Amino acid sequence: MPEQVGEQAKPFDPFESIRGMRDAYLESISKTMVEAVNSESYAQATGAMLDYALSASAPFREALERSMAQTLQQLSLPSRQDVAALAERFTNVEMRLDDLDAKIDRVLQGMAKAAPPRNGKRQTRPRKAAAKRA
Amino acid sequence: MQTPVSVTEETLAFQKRLRTFVKVLSTKAAIAQTPKELVWTLNKTKLYRYVPVVPAENRFPVPLLLVFAIMNRPYILDLRPGHSFVEFMIRSGFDVYLLDWGRPGLEDMGTKLDDYAMEYLPRAIRKVKEVSGCQEFSMLGWCIGAILTTIYAAIRPDDGLRNLLLLTAPLDFSDRNHVTFARWTDERYFDVEKILAAFGNMPGEMIDYGARALKPVDNYITNYYKLWDNLDNPRAVEAWHAMNTWVTDNIPMAGAAYRQLIVELYRKNALMQNQLRIKDELVDVSNIRANLLTVIATGDHITPPCQSEAILGRVSSTDKETYHIPGGHIGIMAGSSAHRTTWPHIQEWLSARSR
Repeated sequence: MPEQVGEQAKPFDPFESIRGMRDAYLESISKTMVEAVNSESYAQATGAMLDYALSASAPFREALERSMAQTLQQLSLPSRQDVAALAERFTNVEMRLDDLDAKIDRVLQGMAKAAPPRNGKRQTRPRKAAAKRA
Repeated sequence: MQTPVSVTEETLAFQKRLRTFVKVLSTKAAIAQTPKELVWTLNKTKLYRYVPVVPAENRFPVPLLLVFAIMNRPYILDLRPGHSFVEFMIRSGFDVYLLDWGRPGLEDMGTKLDDYAMEYLPRAIRKVKEVSGCQEFSMLGWCIGAILTTIYAAIRPDDGLRNLLLLTAPLDFSDRNHVTFARWTDERYFDVEKILAAFGNMPGEMIDYGARALKPVDNYITNYYKLWDNLDNPRAVEAWHAMNTWVTDNIPMAGAAYRQLIVELYRKNALMQNQLRIKDELVDVSNIRANLLTVIATGDHITPPCQSEAILGRVSSTDKETYHIPGGHIGIMAGSSAHRTTWPHIQEWLSARSR
């Protein structure tokens, strides 16, 4: 009985059947397209398009990069490559610091194990104050 | 026969729906809201620890490290309040850490899978151990994150890894007929060097196109009319908005890592052939002894099930399990039914092995 009341309360929607047809149509198209993109001919076609786009744009890109490098050099400004090289060096320094951090931890752990406990407590390295809320 | 009043009402309702539609498409949802601390950084990589909500004495002692893919944002694991895997796990009593690889710049174009798996990951794990005070840990790798965690687990089997969870892990590339990406990136059609020469890194937009083009009708048409049909349902709109925010937040993939992914894995299947060399070490998955759970999405077009099934037979783990679940690559963890299916299964499996 409650179901019947629910059915009666539901307003007539003239677009429901159209939506149903739309869903069925898109589902069948979707299946066809999934098969189409998983074909050799699709892979070949997209590969060829990408290759053409990259080949066609390469001379312009290279010319732009050359002229930009010259301009930046004349203005005594660092190029993108210079900044990238600097960033790489920073990363290497960071890694060295992280290695040192690990070594200090190992040394402190070794010391804590070797030393007799004072007042029943072992010495441990304090957690970094740098840890912060994100 | 409609009266002028009802026509006016319907016009206003249509305008309201249109405004909501445009707003959802043109704004970012509030996502990744679970409170967390930044505990370690290196280059762009960040390690977060989620603030526990369960008292220490009731928590599982073994921490859980989440490792997501390098070409997507990891906050899919903490999508929105009330629908977040991270939130679910910390409420279940886990000490949860998340590794965010960050957005690679031009200076990172030489970063390889070697660096992610054996430079950044071990350092982050050291920090997890230090902060948690536990020498053992669990690790969950998802998508490319599963490749990295598998490499790590194979090279460092004695490093304290107790539980390894692999979600939709693309590890086996032997069945080329069912892996569309393998077909697209075939060396006859796809010149990876030309792309990297042009861009340095693999642009996020191209990766996004690749993922969407696997199911073009669903991703370019059906997705949007589903939103239109559900505009009167605030919960559905909120979920769609959050997912769209994540999907459209694309990041590039480091050039050298992308080259390895295509050449070594997609084309040579080097990992499963025991031919993958990482930091001059051969990666042998039979070295993996940690408890293993592989979660496979049966409707996954990005990582078809055939890519994740072989690993179970290759590892030396005695405690291993495969969990098949209906759904797609992302849907099994972020979809509307994830909190009733995938999350509880992972939580139960991990709970039994984290004491």
